[in-house]
Amino acid sequence: MAIPYEFAYERPETAEQAVKLLGKYGKNARILAGGTDLANQMKQGFRVPEILIDIKNIKEWEVIKMVNNELHIGSLVTFNDLRKSQLIREKLNILFEAAGLVASTGVRNRATMVGNICSAVACMDSAAPLLVHEAVIHTLSIDGERTIPIQQWFVDNRKTAIQDNELVTHVSIPIPEKKYAGAYQKMMRYSGEDLSQSNVGVLALSDNKYHVAFGSVGPTPKRSLKIENLLNTKGISKETIEEAKAMIETVIAPITDVRATKEYRMHMTKVMFERALKSAVERFKQPKLITQ
Amino acid sequence: MKAYKYIGQSVVKVDGKEKVSGAALYTDDLEFGPDLLYAEVVEGPHAHAIINSIDTSEALKVPEVLAVVTGKDFPFNFGLYMKDRFIFAQDRVRFYGEQIAAVVARTPQAAKKGAQLVKVNYTPLPKILNPLDSIKEGAELLHPELKNYEHVPWFFPKADTNIAHHRKIRKGDADKGFEQADYILEDTYEVPRYSHCAIEFHAAVAKYDHSGRLTVWASSQSPHTQRNLFAQALAPLGIRHNDVRVIAPHVGGGFGSKAGVTMEIIAAAIATKVQGHPVKVMWNREREFYNTYQRLGVVAKLKIGVKKDGKITALKHDLFWDAGAYVEYAANVVNAVGLSAIGPYNVENASIDSYCIYTNLPPGGPYRGFGYSEFLFGLESHMNRIAAHLGIDPIEIRRRNIIKEGDLTAYGAHMNPNGLLQAIDKVAEEIKWNEKLKSNDPDIALGKGFSLFWKAPAMPPNASSSCFLKFNEDASINLLVSGMDLGQGFLTVMAQIAAEILSVPTSKIRTENPDTDRNPYEWQTVASHITWGCGNAVRKAAIDARDQILALVSRTKYLPVDTLYLEDEKVKCTTHSKFELPLKDFIINGIQMEDGTFKGGPVIGRGVFMPEYSSTNANPETSQGGHPNVHYTVGAAAAILEIDIQTGKMKVQKVVEAVDAGKALNPSLVKGQIVGGILQGISTALYEEMKFDHRGKLLNPNFTDYKIPTALDIPGEIVPIIVEVPQPDGPFGARGVGEHTMIPIAPMIANAIDNALGIRIKTMPITAEKVCLEILKKG
Repeated sequence: MAIPYEFAYERPETAEQAVKLLGKYGKNARILAGGTDLANQMKQGFRVPEILIDIKNIKEWEVIKMVNNELHIGSLVTFNDLRKSQLIREKLNILFEAAGLVASTGVRNRATMVGNICSAVACMDSAAPLLVHEAVIHTLSIDGERTIPIQQWFVDNRKTAIQDNELVTHVSIPIPEKKYAGAYQKMMRYSGEDLSQSNVGVLALSDNKYHVAFGSVGPTPKRSLKIENLLNTKGISKETIEEAKAMIETVIAPITDVRATKEYRMHMTKVMFERALKSAVERFKQPKLITQ
Repeated sequence: MKAYKYIGQSVVKVDGKEKVSGAALYTDDLEFGPDLLYAEVVEGPHAHAIINSIDTSEALKVPEVLAVVTGKDFPFNFGLYMKDRFIFAQDRVRFYGEQIAAVVARTPQAAKKGAQLVKVNYTPLPKILNPLDSIKEGAELLHPELKNYEHVPWFFPKADTNIAHHRKIRKGDADKGFEQADYILEDTYEVPRYSHCAIEFHAAVAKYDHSGRLTVWASSQSPHTQRNLFAQALAPLGIRHNDVRVIAPHVGGGFGSKAGVTMEIIAAAIATKVQGHPVKVMWNREREFYNTYQRLGVVAKLKIGVKKDGKITALKHDLFWDAGAYVEYAANVVNAVGLSAIGPYNVENASIDSYCIYTNLPPGGPYRGFGYSEFLFGLESHMNRIAAHLGIDPIEIRRRNIIKEGDLTAYGAHMNPNGLLQAIDKVAEEIKWNEKLKSNDPDIALGKGFSLFWKAPAMPPNASSSCFLKFNEDASINLLVSGMDLGQGFLTVMAQIAAEILSVPTSKIRTENPDTDRNPYEWQTVASHITWGCGNAVRKAAIDARDQILALVSRTKYLPVDTLYLEDEKVKCTTHSKFELPLKDFIINGIQMEDGTFKGGPVIGRGVFMPEYSSTNANPETSQGGHPNVHYTVGAAAAILEIDIQTGKMKVQKVVEAVDAGKALNPSLVKGQIVGGILQGISTALYEEMKFDHRGKLLNPNFTDYKIPTALDIPGEIVPIIVEVPQPDGPFGARGVGEHTMIPIAPMIANAIDNALGIRIKTMPITAEKVCLEILKKG
């Protein structure tokens, strides 16, 4: 199916040119990186941008690198780039795991992680890993740079804290100084490519501290300090896990739709929470387990 | 017995290289030059409504729009078995998304723009989205004209109701049979609608030229039937059968969706309004789901009575089919099931009522299995439940009841030779039926499931196949048939049949998808009949050619004809070991005699096959007396299923399926059908589900939310098994296997779940969610 209307296309060579164009067109422009979401929206007429600004020539945004104790992921890094990166495999195993569950190989070759959090569709896979790692989003506009903590990034389904004249250059993730391990669980209708009907990210940190985030069970992904607090104060035991599972009912608000009922989503979120938690704890004890 | 050289060999597909390399052209790939026009369909946003008016004036103002056509331009009924369908909706729409009009333009964009500007005024009518509502007293009549529709003689529409056909079986005395039973199990099973999900969309290009010729290029399973229906529907415009030519390029999957006629008639009709221009109509994925055929939904009420030893005393099967808005094809699915809903069992007392019911959902139609998957879900679930109640092994109870050669079918004809017992034995052995399963993981439950299957081709008693076989100077052959290679390997197998009889290697036989002007008649590539039916036609054509060759050599070389035979592209003689005459020396130009004259001429074989013993003449109250089905293909399947008891997620660890192919003409292709059928069966059992909202609008016309398996979802191990009990009237003993392979899968899965968890699921699909919620309910 072709895109049934005309639009302009620019492919700037530098970040400066890109934000200049964006400054000129504002909300009438869309940034094109992977385009896996945008192309579908344009074909179906949900979005009718006047101009596409293709940023794929801006090489500095293709990079995954360590800067001091932060890991930087550029806005052109695809999910399969994440899967191929030794740095991601070692430092951000939860993101490595989540990236492998995004859509299919074909889509992962194109789709970018930054595009995923910019589309901010409730069922995205990147949010929970970035939430538990307290990532920071870096934007750029003609007015300069801005940093937004991931906690404040998601405003509503498909709405983020980004301004019309801004684009995301990269995401930075502080790497904990001590030992840590994460785990991601995704609810899917089968093993093939699917949009998550619920997902859970758990990060196990040293000193028996935990970060927990949920996705696809509300308009925005959500980190739960309430559950973290319970785990952090009471420690991991059969009882606290049950207590935390019961608490999930007060934390998330799943809906019934064409993909699943809210009852099944709620049940699965609890099961996945327990599995992610146990898996994160296992990996914390035996980091070599992090291979999948 | 003489060993075969080509039959029974896994000859490589004749079109394999072309397809694998991407060279094969499909309808959308064809070039039609600058005159090509594009049509965009206008759809109705109501499941049931009166069309008050259609305003096309704004659409016609769009630059590059040439024409807008509506139902008024084509006030014609059409249909395969019952003429209840229209090219465009006439006075009313009957399903959400039905075509109302089409805008024809020089570009797809202009056509689309025009289509958005067509204004239609509707008065909504009460809609019926469920077959049981449709047969209630006082239900809105969806086809008030039903009593006037032309239909085949074996349909029995009920005037002034929504029942378009009722197939009734009365065999023996069911009431008495139930009285004799020691145990009776009665329950209801539900199967929803499904979509074929062929990778290639429906596509049609039609051109009506200034000589009055209508040529249609279409992705099709049925080129000749399409020609017939186009000619019938457009006859009021002065179009005759010999004016219509259907050309069928490669097809990217059919599964029944491209049988008969659906959207192709839109292209054919529009072409008559823009004479001289080819017009293209392309469906998209959404329309593939809601405006082609869908597999019918069914509510099946089943009652079986048995003796203590498990022997069936009576069976009552009432099937209420959600056949959709138009049933011109669907009614025959209902008919086929009515005839066969006893399953592969010897049942003395049977009562079957199969109702074809109109609803305001998209038209039902043929889908791989033709209704058998649907009724076997309940029947094969029921057999396990009865066995459990009686404390008999589920396979043993089947052994005690299966239909054998010579037993009477539901309609009183004799069962054909078959290898059902062999299939059961082989499957039971391969799955190690008697070994208990043990799970090492407390979160994983394991279960074994088993199911039998049977299916007959559902076709008119006079459905025919034919073949022209033309030799060329070098003794290569052009084999002209009109069956379609849908990926199943049909053309390859036809080449093998001709090769075997004529001793010409398959590499020298060119056989391609048809052009109805060039290739002789074929009914349709459906019903899994094509290997058997068209194979017989090819066999006859090859024998015809062989007989001409041997007769010519006999009269010119003065050798008795019964001493002559073909080997390695030569005529040889049993009594003169040195005699050999290469075919290429005479096959076109004849044999020269001593006086310089030539005898013979181009050898052209001709073969026609019609099952002349088939008949639908029967008592409509009992269905006794006719011979509506030519034969049944049978088999068995079993699986080991693992279930995550916390999430309900299932994985088929191993699946085994045996099918009686009669003779596997190409074993590799038969195994391909088994593997493919298993996967499609697993898909419908576990994942696929059409979801309609209260308006009758399909909510998931896409692969985002209508799931078919990927490579990650295939079973751990698949074991295809071929059984060969020859079909007496099949080519080299072959009978069809294509559809059958998916039929046993859903009940097999349901039985495995019951075996693992003691949970009986009676509605399809059996999603992880459904299983999980049942586990939670059970506690």
